[in-house]
Amino acid sequence: MHRLVLGSVLMAGVAAAAPAQAQETVRIGLIQPLTGSVAYNGQSVVEGARLAIEEVNAAGGVLGKKIELIIEDGQCKPANSVNAVEKLVQKDKVVGLVGAFCSSATAAIMPVAQKYKIPLVTGVSSKADLTEQGNPYFFRAAETDGLMAKAFAKILAKDLKLGSVAYIGVNDDWGRGGIEEFSRDLSALGVKTVLTEYFDHGTTDFFTLLTKLRAAKPDGVFVAAETQDGSILVKQIRELGITAKVFGVGSWATADFIKLAGDAAEGIHAAVPYASTYEAPRNQAFVKKYEAKYGIKPGKYGAAGYNALNIVAAAIAGAGSTDAEAIRAALQKTRYEAPNGVYQFTGKGQAYGFDAVLVRLEKGEPKVIASAPVEATD
Amino acid sequence: MDLFLQYLANGLVIGAFYALSALGLTLIFGLMRVVNFAHGEFYMLGGVLGWFVTAHLGLNFFLGLALVAATMATLGWLVDRFLIERVRGQGEEPGILLTIGLSIFLVNATLLVVGPAPMKVAGAFAEGPVFIGPIIVTKLRLLAVAVGAAAILAAHLLIRRTRLGRAMRATFQDPMAASLAGIRTKHVYAATFALGCTLAALSGMLLASVYSAQASIGGLVSLKSFVVVILGGMGSFAGAVAGGLLLGIAEAMWGGYVATGMVDVIGFVLVILILLFRPQGIFSARAERA
Repeated sequence: MHRLVLGSVLMAGVAAAAPAQAQETVRIGLIQPLTGSVAYNGQSVVEGARLAIEEVNAAGGVLGKKIELIIEDGQCKPANSVNAVEKLVQKDKVVGLVGAFCSSATAAIMPVAQKYKIPLVTGVSSKADLTEQGNPYFFRAAETDGLMAKAFAKILAKDLKLGSVAYIGVNDDWGRGGIEEFSRDLSALGVKTVLTEYFDHGTTDFFTLLTKLRAAKPDGVFVAAETQDGSILVKQIRELGITAKVFGVGSWATADFIKLAGDAAEGIHAAVPYASTYEAPRNQAFVKKYEAKYGIKPGKYGAAGYNALNIVAAAIAGAGSTDAEAIRAALQKTRYEAPNGVYQFTGKGQAYGFDAVLVRLEKGEPKVIASAPVEATD
Repeated sequence: MDLFLQYLANGLVIGAFYALSALGLTLIFGLMRVVNFAHGEFYMLGGVLGWFVTAHLGLNFFLGLALVAATMATLGWLVDRFLIERVRGQGEEPGILLTIGLSIFLVNATLLVVGPAPMKVAGAFAEGPVFIGPIIVTKLRLLAVAVGAAAILAAHLLIRRTRLGRAMRATFQDPMAASLAGIRTKHVYAATFALGCTLAALSGMLLASVYSAQASIGGLVSLKSFVVVILGGMGSFAGAVAGGLLLGIAEAMWGGYVATGMVDVIGFVLVILILLFRPQGIFSARAERA
């Protein structure tokens, strides 16, 4: 047993000192929830990531080698995600990590990535304080709820004529964070908060919550939820005959959400970092390729996986080696032309420069009604 | 007051759903002494198959429901004959390990075949609200409650009034005496497991038409079903109904008057209280083996 521990410590040391020298491929680890109530969204990230790697490899790979994507199921849980990272680093000897969807899971794997000195990029986790922890190996290629709220609160309050709003969010750091940010910015504009309620991941029945909502009679309902929870929620909002305007954050501007929610999706406003209907030549090309491969238009998470992997691949190419420090330095200098704008990183590793959009779901299509660049904050 | 009535109605509906989804679990435990950890996965399969037969085969809801029931009964029968039978009579632990393994297999096989996306099961008719005084429910929910009640009654009658039911009860009281009396106990075990699976799958498809079907929903369903069964008493039909309604109403009231964010806590608080003060459950089925 002692020998085993010693052996793995030695191996980890070797891996950190000279990672993957003898390997035929350059390995990148991807940690996403592949089971559980956000599994579907995690799967979208994986689809986007696979497409990105396919493109990079078709163009000759990096450092003269093909990239190999190794995918692990972190289940959005901190403990499982940490296990996944340990396995990816120790056994698979990855040179870069992408993950882990839920902010709580990402927060848990950040110190592990730092311990092994492996750069970690998240394309999804949006809790604001992740980039405030001074972890030099962590980069966030995503918007934060605060940045979204700042970009769209004013437009929402004016366009939807909001006098009072009820806030409903999934009971985790992302949901709570989203409600915090949006309620702060909307309150500053004089919009009254009449109700704030949370529900657990995987909840299927919202009638009790919505009964409360109906009694509160708000002008608008802000919802922070992912595809599965969100689609059931908006269906039940309509079933209960609530006519308040629904807007929110999450994966709303996706074909699947619209299909699941049916007529109930009509007229919903969503602040999202990405919509397939965003007008830009790069985006049209991306949508076409994605649709050809998966038979469905990309949503927020497909794009997130695509962008995160492209950023890591470009950084490895830019570093000219698989040395962690070189990759980290290259990530810092990222200038990646994504379907939705140009990604760059601040000193703290927060991405900026790309466009976020506000969409309205009309006849089964997310129609872009406003777009705004996500700006650097420090 | 209107608000209270609506909470109560919500609680009753959800409670009926809980009771329905726990029925298969309590039946298999009560009659076979098998703690079926794959219960939630049979429920999930019901929903996924329901999606398949309505969306892909284009059957109407009730025809689809019948087909799903028949398919799952066959599956349950086969699972018992080929898997459960091997660990029968060896105590409860091998059965627990077997069903946990089975649940992992079923989830991952489903993920492999249909993927993790939520699926919509087309309901029996268009969704629409129904107003009963100040209370709102929907047609599909009422239908699910009605079909659920019918399923509970049918299962009860099957066990109490039919030849097969008598054979079941005889087998589980004393397998040796039952086989001496000429009952083919192997078939009785398989029929019981098939019945439990069918009930789980029926509730899975019914509720998938109200909510949605998804490959990894099983864990949560198993958890709630265990809460219901512990509340009501392992193996008791009346207990499952009472436990389900109790849990549904408690959750609705807690969610309505306190906070919806911690509503899952309620079930476990109830379980702890029941285990402390009435460990046999509200109703206990004293079907001890000879």
